[in-house]
Amino acid sequence: MARRDPIYGIMAEFDSAQALLDAAKKTHEAGYKKIDAYSPFPIEGLAEEIGFHFNEVPLVVLIGGLIGGISGYMMQYWMAAVDYPLNIGGKPYHSWPAFIVITFEMTILFAGISAVFGMLALNGLPMPYHPVFNVPRFSSASKDRFFLIVFSSDKKYDPADTRKFMEGLNPRSLSEVPS
Amino acid sequence: MTTPAKLDLAAPPVVKTIAQRLLVAGVVFAIVALAIAFTRPDEFYHAYLLGFMDWLGVALGSMAVIMIRHLTGGGWGVVIRRIQGAAMRTLPFLTVLFIPLLIAVWQGRMYPWAMPLGAITDAHIREHLDKNRFILESYLTQRGFFLRAIFYFAIWNLLSFLLSKWSKEGDSPTARDNTQRFKAVSGPGLILYGFTISFAAIDWVMSLDPSWISTIFGLMILIGEVLAAMCFAVFVERILVDYKPMSDLLKPDFVHDHGKWMLTFIMVWAYFNFSQWLIIWAGNLPTEITYYMRRLNGGWGYVGLFIVIFHFAIPFAILLSRPFKRDIRKLFWLAVWLLCMRFVDLFWIIEPNFSETFRVTVADIVVPLAIGCLWMALFFSNLASLPLLPLYDAQAVEVLEPVPHHGGT
Repeated sequence: MARRDPIYGIMAEFDSAQALLDAAKKTHEAGYKKIDAYSPFPIEGLAEEIGFHFNEVPLVVLIGGLIGGISGYMMQYWMAAVDYPLNIGGKPYHSWPAFIVITFEMTILFAGISAVFGMLALNGLPMPYHPVFNVPRFSSASKDRFFLIVFSSDKKYDPADTRKFMEGLNPRSLSEVPS
Repeated sequence: MTTPAKLDLAAPPVVKTIAQRLLVAGVVFAIVALAIAFTRPDEFYHAYLLGFMDWLGVALGSMAVIMIRHLTGGGWGVVIRRIQGAAMRTLPFLTVLFIPLLIAVWQGRMYPWAMPLGAITDAHIREHLDKNRFILESYLTQRGFFLRAIFYFAIWNLLSFLLSKWSKEGDSPTARDNTQRFKAVSGPGLILYGFTISFAAIDWVMSLDPSWISTIFGLMILIGEVLAAMCFAVFVERILVDYKPMSDLLKPDFVHDHGKWMLTFIMVWAYFNFSQWLIIWAGNLPTEITYYMRRLNGGWGYVGLFIVIFHFAIPFAILLSRPFKRDIRKLFWLAVWLLCMRFVDLFWIIEPNFSETFRVTVADIVVPLAIGCLWMALFFSNLASLPLLPLYDAQAVEVLEPVPHHGGT
């Protein structure tokens, strides 16, 4: 296993969603790129403030949907025209209108499944260990506290400077996160 | 409630200018249309039905969307309520515009069931009506057509009257809260709208071919109407967003919602149309397939294909994009396009009844334009007569609050 930086990042704790938003904005503007924020509920605009603009789930869903639609159509074509041709109402074996409904359903099914699993995969879930939980206070991130972390892997990260900068954000508390 | 003290919600002066110019254009087109009415009456009435159904759709659809908003809530609906209200308040005018269709029935034009049997040119329809006399005796009669039309218009005008009356009353800070009254009317109102528009679609459009029936036909007209109404609202909000107060009120979130509605209605429209076609195709029965035999042959098939691609496939693909839906300046163009496609769709539904081969007459363009310009002139003058936002609506706060500084678009 590769040697890890003993410090995962520096975490600041805030009292309100607005304080977190302001802090995230300042941190991002100060040039820190590898940052993340945690809150008990979704905060509108927070993702943009930490520099997160594009998510790849729609692309995964699109690809999943296309695969589902194509395989649904091909499956019916193979069954109705190749493997077991059956004359239904004198229509051609390859009667595409009859295939549309199943094609549509398969598109939805695969797109839906890709959305769930794509989201989990892109989030890196399941994740049995995450360093942020090494900070005892972090458990209140699911109750009433708001956290901002600057990762030690950030280019601009410097143990002393970053700590000083984050103290300037007036957090309720500041902790180093061991990895 | 927070109400900014000095907020001017009056429509910008440009609205009145637009109304005047449309009135001039409408009068010019109407004169040409009248000339056609006297020289080629049949072509005129065919085109008139097309134009009437097209613009009636915008008005009725707007009323339906207003009622949906009263039941579901949401800032997206508050910000366009006065636009859709102005469209809804054209219903008395549309009631008057229905008179030429009564004249057509009176004179035994256009509708086969209104003609003497011998005058029906389509052998299939003649035979069908001859064999099933009860159709002519019990339902498709001049008297029945007239009475049912009165009934539909009475219901629509009543709903429109109540909804706009209470909306107007609510513009005073001391007015009582009408939310519950709106809800009480909107629930039954939507159900009534669903039934009346279905029967109206049967009477006015489907009965052009009394030998053919489809149980989903009314719903196809209905969904076209709400789609047209949403597109029309986007069209108007784009004009208004260049001026105060709309420039302060229309947030990307609301535009996003309007885009989502457009996507939803397009999908439902496609679903209804495809269902009808799939069932008729699968059944392959002589009495049912006449509709599509007409519309897929003799050049009409190209129009049908055009509709599948440009009324569904391409708008659907474009509307999947989130940034596109949030940008009123882009969404505007798709809305205008879809309003044109509503016209093409109705053209494809109505006109093949009168000609086996593809045909567009001058009347098909001029008459709908005449109705449209006059209708829009009235719409814009309606729009100028009330503030652009129902300020004391319970959800107006959502529209009035400034865009949060951190809000990403």
